[in-house]
Amino acid sequence: MDGIHDLGGMHGFGAVVAPGGEAPYHERWEARVFALHLLAGVERLGARPGGRATREEMDPVDYLAASYFERWLWSLEQGLLRKGTIAAGEVERMMERLAAGGPEPPPHRDPEQAARAVEWLREVVPMQPATRPRFKPGQAARVRRMRPAGHTRCPRYVRGAVGVVEGVRGAAELPDLAVYSRDAPVEPIYAVAFRSDALWGRGEEPPWTVALDLWESYLEEAE
Amino acid sequence: MSTEHGHDHHHPRPDSQVALRARALEALLAEKGLVAADAIDAVVDLYERDVGPQNGAKVVARAWTDPAFRGRLLADGAKAIAELGLGGVEADNLVAVANTPTVHNVVVCTLCSCYPWPVLGLPPTWYKSPPYRARMVAEPRAVLREFGLELPDEVEIRVWDSSAEVRYLVVPMRPAGAEGLAEEALRVLVTRDCMIGTAVPQVGSP
Repeated sequence: MDGIHDLGGMHGFGAVVAPGGEAPYHERWEARVFALHLLAGVERLGARPGGRATREEMDPVDYLAASYFERWLWSLEQGLLRKGTIAAGEVERMMERLAAGGPEPPPHRDPEQAARAVEWLREVVPMQPATRPRFKPGQAARVRRMRPAGHTRCPRYVRGAVGVVEGVRGAAELPDLAVYSRDAPVEPIYAVAFRSDALWGRGEEPPWTVALDLWESYLEEAE
Repeated sequence: MSTEHGHDHHHPRPDSQVALRARALEALLAEKGLVAADAIDAVVDLYERDVGPQNGAKVVARAWTDPAFRGRLLADGAKAIAELGLGGVEADNLVAVANTPTVHNVVVCTLCSCYPWPVLGLPPTWYKSPPYRARMVAEPRAVLREFGLELPDEVEIRVWDSSAEVRYLVVPMRPAGAEGLAEEALRVLVTRDCMIGTAVPQVGSP
C-alpha cells in the first residue's frame, strides 16, 4: 500500500534529534498498549491483517498526528473489532464509565497467560532455507514497478532501481499475500544493495549504499 | 515539545483522552476475561528489566575479545547470540554487520519500526519517527552529523533498511585506548546508538 507510512526519502519532517526522542515511551499507558497488542497476538484475539498492515490503513493525516503508541492503540482496537472480540461502542462505553468514576472491572489474573507470552517472546523461529533462488549473488536485479493496493514490504523509493544481489537471506511467505490469507507462496528473500545515485541521483553527500531485503516477486532481471 | 517538528515525539490530542481509551480497552479485555493484568505486567517488565541494549553490549564486547565468537556472530547472528542466552521475537534472523576503517553501517526501518528487540530492547522514539525513517536512506551524513558523528568522506556508509524478516545489529570497531580493558569494562563503551550505527564507541564515555 502506497501510504504515508512509506517514508523513505521524503522531505519536510525536520530534525531527527529532538526533545523527547530518547525514550521508547513516556507514559505508562504506552507500555501497556505495547504489551496488550503483543498479548492480543499471542492469544489470537485480533483479525488479519495484523498490527503493521492495519496501521498502514490509517488516514494519513491521523497517522502523522498520532504518536507511535497511539497508532498501536488504533490498530489493536481495529483488529479486535474486526475479529468480533469486542463490539462497536464498547470501548466508548467503558471510557464513559471510567471517566464517570464507575467501577473498574475486577482484576483478572492468569499466570499461565503471562508465562505463555514470555515463552512466545523468547521463541526463535528462523526463516526457511531458500530453494531454487532465481537470482545469484553478484547479479544485477531491478525492482519491479508496482502500485500495490494492499500491504507490501517493497518501499516506493527502490522501485525501478537496479541493485546488486549480495546474498540469499532465506525464504518466507510473501507478506503482500500472507497478511491476508493462509496460503501465500514462500519465496526467497535477497539482500540487495543499491548505490545512492541509483536511488536519488547525484547529491551533495559522497555516494553511499542502501541495502534492503527483498522478496523474489519484487525483482526482475536487469540487463 | 516542539510543535513544528514534533510529529512523533508527542501527540496533539489530550493525553488524558488517549490514556483513558487505552485504560478502557484494557479494562474491557479484563472484564471479558481475555487479557490478564499480570500478563501485561510480565511483558512490560521483560523489556524494562531484562531486555535492553545491555544485551547487545554483551554481544559486542564478546566479539571484541573473542575472535572465534566474532567469526560466528558475523556468519550467523541469531545462532551466535544464543550462545549468550539471547534471542527471540525480532531477532529470529539476526544479521550482525561489522564496521571497519572503510565501512560504517547504520540501521533504519523506513516502513515501520523493525528493530532487534532481544539485543537492543525497544527502539527510542526517534528511531520510529518520520524524520529518521525519511532521511536516513536519503541523506545519511546529514543525519549522522545531527548525532554528532562526522565520518571521513572515504568511509563508505551502508544503510540497512530492515524491510523483511532480517534484523540488524551493528558491531562497532573497538575504540583506540580500549586495548587493555576486560570484557566487562568494554561493555560500558557500547551504547545503544553504537549498535544502531548513529554513534561510535568512545573511551571515557558515556
